[in-house]
Amino acid sequence: MTRSRRWWLAAVAVALVTAAPLVARAVPVQAPDRDAASLVAQVRAAAHHPYSGQVEMNGNLDLPVTSRFTDIGTLLGERTTLRAWWRGPDAWRVDKLLVTGETDLLHSGGLTTEWSYEANRAVRSVDPDVRLPRTADLLPPALAARVLDGADDRTATRIGARRVAGISAPGVRIRPADPRSSVDHVDLWEDPASGVVLRVDAYASGDTAPSFSTAFTTFSAAIPDEARTRFVLPAGAKVSFDDVLDIADAANQYAPFDPPDRLAGLVRAATPSGAVGVYGSGLTRLLVIPLRHRDAQTLDDQLRRSAGVVESDVGLQLQAGPLGVLVADRGDFSWLVAGPLTPDTLVTAARDLQAGATLR
Amino acid sequence: MIAVELGKLLRSRRTWVTIGLVDALPTLVAVLLAVTDLGPRPGTGPAFLSAVLHDGTLFPLAAMAMVLPLFLPVAVAMAAGEAIAGEAQTGTLRYLLVRPVGRTRLLAAKLVSVMAFVLLTVLVVAATALLTGTLLLGHENTGRTISVSGTTLTTGELAVRTGLALLYAMLSMLGVAAIGLFLSTVVRTPLAAALGTLAVLVASTLLLPLDAAHALRPYLLTRYWLAFVDLFRDPILWTNVVHGVLQQCGYVVAFLAAAWANFATKDVTD
Repeated sequence: MTRSRRWWLAAVAVALVTAAPLVARAVPVQAPDRDAASLVAQVRAAAHHPYSGQVEMNGNLDLPVTSRFTDIGTLLGERTTLRAWWRGPDAWRVDKLLVTGETDLLHSGGLTTEWSYEANRAVRSVDPDVRLPRTADLLPPALAARVLDGADDRTATRIGARRVAGISAPGVRIRPADPRSSVDHVDLWEDPASGVVLRVDAYASGDTAPSFSTAFTTFSAAIPDEARTRFVLPAGAKVSFDDVLDIADAANQYAPFDPPDRLAGLVRAATPSGAVGVYGSGLTRLLVIPLRHRDAQTLDDQLRRSAGVVESDVGLQLQAGPLGVLVADRGDFSWLVAGPLTPDTLVTAARDLQAGATLR
Repeated sequence: MIAVELGKLLRSRRTWVTIGLVDALPTLVAVLLAVTDLGPRPGTGPAFLSAVLHDGTLFPLAAMAMVLPLFLPVAVAMAAGEAIAGEAQTGTLRYLLVRPVGRTRLLAAKLVSVMAFVLLTVLVVAATALLTGTLLLGHENTGRTISVSGTTLTTGELAVRTGLALLYAMLSMLGVAAIGLFLSTVVRTPLAAALGTLAVLVASTLLLPLDAAHALRPYLLTRYWLAFVDLFRDPILWTNVVHGVLQQCGYVVAFLAAAWANFATKDVTD
């Protein structure tokens, strides 16, 4: 065999090896031809449908992070891999997979357990009225449920199907009708058989790439085994019980304030009823948390180091993709105002808050 | 021919010095951990390193996590770079090819020899780590080990999974060996072949965390190396392990084919 023929054969071998992973992706996607409203209705009906699988989340929201604000900054600003087993709202497990171990959340029997392999520790807690987002809230079905909360189904439009976790998934675009939202649109793709949402891409106004994306890479709509969501404390592991889950829970329980019933025209939700307020719904949801001076100072320092931070008479403000954060200073304490809202809406909300919040 | 190559490998002083150097790092870490009792903060150290403070039987895995990203591939790159270019540099390649043995078989024998070196290194590192781990580190293992997911593994399950992890670590070096062997047929000095292989390794490590290089990730040499940790999750997460094995096979097919294409009809004057 001549030298050139050998090189041709080698080139063919290289081409075959390189092309192999691409072939499966090149097969055309075929999804059922259904209108957007019926797809959204199916997603709503599947709100408690069980599922399991591996999820890849990718965010580029550069949020200021402090340890008091849990790992929300890394969840929204980095690539994260999860494994989930969801039997229902009362029994689920979400594992955050790390190269060095795992941090897992298990919910069963009214208790949530956070297992950290590297710390060899389990922390148990009861879900409070309000808390900061965590891994389980960013699974595609959970995030889609928040997006669709209060959304007008008539504004949903069909988008092209795509293959997600090997499934040809029909897609729907949700565009918020409320001009106060800073979200341009959110794209959902669902499993046509079960209605479970397989992928969510959120876009900020003016962006062509998603600010945050969460998608199954493997998926099953079968009910997971009960043992998967049950946590048995391994011998030798440390265990503790947390009365206060995070900074939102702490403020809601102990801060001596009452936020007003309405901020920037958004109506306050019935829960939480403490010092923390949640306003609006879906893609116009607003969260306000009173912060002690110490916590506010830490967040303030973080914000000042972030690119794009704006200082005004109300306070420091940062827009990270569709997510806005504003720290309104009131001397001894401050208010954290956050949500997928336009900067002007956040400023209005902060002014309303400073004028309308009362001491208990 | 394979027996001849394996004999040369085992008799070479350089083989044992290299293995000793690779083995020195985890041994030093074991001593430091035993003296200070200070583990890495969560998310900062190699996999399993925090766990060995209370369960020393996991130290072979921590040792693998330490040597796999750099020390082991550097050693493999040197061994593979030496395979053909080393013979050429010392002027023995011509005499080697005088024997009634095909060049393709010689390449295969060299690859087997490099992989035997990997096997030997992994076994020595694992055995030393098991010894130092059980003697110096945590003694809380009472026949049950905590999996990464918080479930308990019996001694049998731990042994099987550790065996699979060591096998996976060896297979992860197939790509480095194949690239080194190919470059060894291209250049005249083993150092150039080893450096070329290391350049691929460094490029892969740099590209891996880049979002802009996301489309290349499945092809990057180092992409799945640490997936052996997935064997200690419950249930075992096979996805990346299977992808890792297939990817390494792909590297072997591609670079061995290139080595064969280049070497089979090459004019050998050294």
